[in-house]
Amino acid sequence: MALLRWTKRHLVVIAGLLTLGYLLLPNIVVTVFSFNEPKGRFNYEWQTFSTDAWTDPCGVAGLCGSLSISLQLAAWATLGATVLGTMIAFALVRYRFRARGAVNSLIFLPMAMPEVVMAASLLTLFLNLGAQLGFWTILIAHIMFCLSFVVVAVKARVMSMDPRLEEAARDLYAGPVQTFVRVTLPIAAPGIAAGALLAFALSFDDFIITNFTAGSTVTFPMFVWGSAQRGTPVQINVIGTAMFVVAVLFVLAGMVVGGRRKRQKP
Amino acid sequence: MTKDHGGDVRLSGISKTYGSFAAVHPLDLTVPEGSFFALLGASGCGKTTTLRMIAGLEEPSSGTVSLGEQDVTRLPPHKRPVNTVFQSYALFPHLDIFENVAFGLRRRGIRSVTKQVDEMLDLVQLGEQARKKPHQLSGGQQQRVAVARALINRPKVLLLDEPLGALDLKLRRQMQLELKRIQTEVGITFVHVTHDQEEAMTMADTVAVMNAGRVEQLGSPTDLYENPRTTFVANFLGTSNLIEAEVDSKSGGAIVLKAGDGKLSLPEARCSAPATTGGRVLVGVRPEKISLTHADDAGDVPVGRNRITGKITATSFIGVSTQYVVDSSVCPEFAVYVQNIDRDPRLVPGADVVLHWSPAHTFGLDAAQSLLAGTAGSAGVETVEEEAAVR
Amino acid sequence: MTTLTEAEAPPPPAPVTPTRKPPRGRGRLVPYWLLLPGILWLLVFFALPMIYQASTSVQTGSLEEGYKVTWHFATYWHALSEYWPQFLRSVLYAGSATVLCLLLGYPLAYLIAFRAGRWRNLILILVIAPFFTSFLIRTLAWKTILADGGPVVGALNSLHVLDVTGWLGITAGDRVLATPLAVVCGLTYNFLPFMILPLYTSLERIDGRLHEAAGDLYATPFTTFRKVTFPLSMPGVVSGTLLTFIPASGDYVNADLLGSADTRMVGNVIQTQFLRILDYPTAAALSFLLMAAILIMVTLYIRKSGTEDLV
Repeated sequence: MALLRWTKRHLVVIAGLLTLGYLLLPNIVVTVFSFNEPKGRFNYEWQTFSTDAWTDPCGVAGLCGSLSISLQLAAWATLGATVLGTMIAFALVRYRFRARGAVNSLIFLPMAMPEVVMAASLLTLFLNLGAQLGFWTILIAHIMFCLSFVVVAVKARVMSMDPRLEEAARDLYAGPVQTFVRVTLPIAAPGIAAGALLAFALSFDDFIITNFTAGSTVTFPMFVWGSAQRGTPVQINVIGTAMFVVAVLFVLAGMVVGGRRKRQKP
Repeated sequence: MTKDHGGDVRLSGISKTYGSFAAVHPLDLTVPEGSFFALLGASGCGKTTTLRMIAGLEEPSSGTVSLGEQDVTRLPPHKRPVNTVFQSYALFPHLDIFENVAFGLRRRGIRSVTKQVDEMLDLVQLGEQARKKPHQLSGGQQQRVAVARALINRPKVLLLDEPLGALDLKLRRQMQLELKRIQTEVGITFVHVTHDQEEAMTMADTVAVMNAGRVEQLGSPTDLYENPRTTFVANFLGTSNLIEAEVDSKSGGAIVLKAGDGKLSLPEARCSAPATTGGRVLVGVRPEKISLTHADDAGDVPVGRNRITGKITATSFIGVSTQYVVDSSVCPEFAVYVQNIDRDPRLVPGADVVLHWSPAHTFGLDAAQSLLAGTAGSAGVETVEEEAAVR
Repeated sequence: MTTLTEAEAPPPPAPVTPTRKPPRGRGRLVPYWLLLPGILWLLVFFALPMIYQASTSVQTGSLEEGYKVTWHFATYWHALSEYWPQFLRSVLYAGSATVLCLLLGYPLAYLIAFRAGRWRNLILILVIAPFFTSFLIRTLAWKTILADGGPVVGALNSLHVLDVTGWLGITAGDRVLATPLAVVCGLTYNFLPFMILPLYTSLERIDGRLHEAAGDLYATPFTTFRKVTFPLSMPGVVSGTLLTFIPASGDYVNADLLGSADTRMVGNVIQTQFLRILDYPTAAALSFLLMAAILIMVTLYIRKSGTEDLV
């Protein structure tokens, strides 16, 4: 009886934790199998424990090259999408202008479109223009689909910003440029950072659009896709695990620093 | 020795319209240097817009703004020797207190700011808090930072936009005195926008009461309170009892009026409306000027006083005074404040009473205006909403 | 990612001071200069391709001789009659995955918003962090988890779950891999965070005192949820379902890695036609149909849920 009541009271918690388990299970598998020594070409069945892959993560031809291409792409796509997206977000929040509705729709539609549709149409354009598929066409595509997400993230932040802060700056002898650099930008920074982080993650992990626009260039997700057909090296699990751990540590470190800063001056 | 009038603020024919809506009607106003000037009015009356035009945050639709001899109408805010204490302060959340206060100095290219900032923080008693972020301070402390951040620039004029609106009552009282002290100490012209009539009267040398984009009346607090010239001012500053009356006759500097079946006397000098025999005038008297006598003792009321009879409908004990609401034939809700010296136990709801006051405390207003202008129930007075908006 | 932008921007927060005046002269052009590069980018690389695609879908010809616009609408008819099962499957799979995401994601979002206490940030990180392991690698991990004869399949088998699902036609024999169940499971897994985050954002905004107020007014916990919490979380439900359904309906990775030839979705067809068979008109027509279907469904859905201002 008591157990039943306890279960009833904590039903939400139990269900939530089960979902969390479902979300994390593949990561656990990926991590465990990064220590596997598979017999065949595929790393789907547990054989024996080994740290070979961890000591030689670049041991598979093309893996680290594709990783480097993905990182470069993500860096440039983040830069491009963040700059363009931030500009749009500021225009949308801070100014009245014609064609506002049309601009909003144009921002919204890429997010409401299955990737495969954008990928296919973009490829049609590139083929029609006779563009050489490769790094630059991927970059163009990545900036395009990351842009809207940056706009949303920055817009939310700028909208919650008190316009009187900028008035206060102007009142305190800061010209338009100074006001922007000293007040607007620092306050909007968390939104811009969130947008940039999102753009990086989206670009780095994108497969569908990249697959259509890449030509013979191989990004990390494309390498994984290819290996799923030909044989999965343990090294991709190593990279996957490492990325997961680095991301978690990065965020935790950020929280610890943030928490300490708050506590420092009570 | 000639006095430098660089701190005078002169508004000539200044107005502001948004589309077809006139926020501020053409307005002339001079604020003398070194004075503490209050713009008082309900939300939406144009007082904040007027202030923002002085600051340069709003461009006037017509007219000019001058500081001393200099026309600053076309100058952007960062080039005007004027600083503002914003409503809810607008402290920069990403900078600490020191950097907030130093902001203006740094923007003007001043290198060594430490000494000045420290002195200023001491003036507002925040020396200890220099390295905290604004959100770590209490409301009152944030308010003082906002004042310090503006004052450190030695502006010719300091503009205060509802600076105390976000504070609780007790703190507000304290800060009113504090601001007054600082103003006396630094001698800078203060222009203070508020919807709180008590705040305006406590702090300012001169008060301009604004209503619907116009200045209704301008004067010292006592002058405004004792001699209101419109029903708006009479009702917005404190409480007034207003009675509609007919001019019966004039004699020896006094006007005799007929109200109901009684007669009232009003000094001609205190009547702001043209009083022709047979014309109508609004007679006003403040609640604390009235004495209350039980109807049984009506014979004790001295001769020569204005008197009205009525019945008490409600009483409330406030501590320093007791407030009565009296229903009389000439005015259904007559307010009377009686000091708690000798309380007459017979003065309870239902009791018949005589209200009487000295004719010298009576004032007369033009009858061609709403009796209710400026009362809490009438449009335009939205104190509650405004305070809600601040949060 | 947590919120979709709104087609019509809501007004800026209640202006205590009058809103910014439109600047005069040169300043009037500032917003256009700010918009120009980004909007141009979207016009050239998002809108223009759509037009090219629409035109390709009514072209005829061959790779060698080139294509010409011949207003050949029969391509659409052909595409539909040939590939309607894949279309139907996309809608079914994506729809099931969306419902599953909502059912699985809501408790977790609720847990993070109201019951997690000091664990809130950690759980949030754990929801987001898997993003950093490439989703292809994580999807491949499901091959291991659902492997034939593995512990999961074994457990389902001994509980006779597979008998039921086999009877329903979503699994086949002793296998989960290469069945619709595996594909839906993968889709659900991949898009679950896109459901949880918007749900969490809208739940987190709910004032906890509303629960107390509802309880004070004689509502049982379940009634409180039904009458207060759930209605207030509708914005999150709407954007969460859209963020799940739209990408899931166009996905071809899960169907390819976890499914079989019988679980191909429309995304697989588009991908194959475009990248392997090189039948551009058919691929473009399919892509155009998918886009139209999604846009119509999304519009109807937003209308129906009465939250037009939210997405």
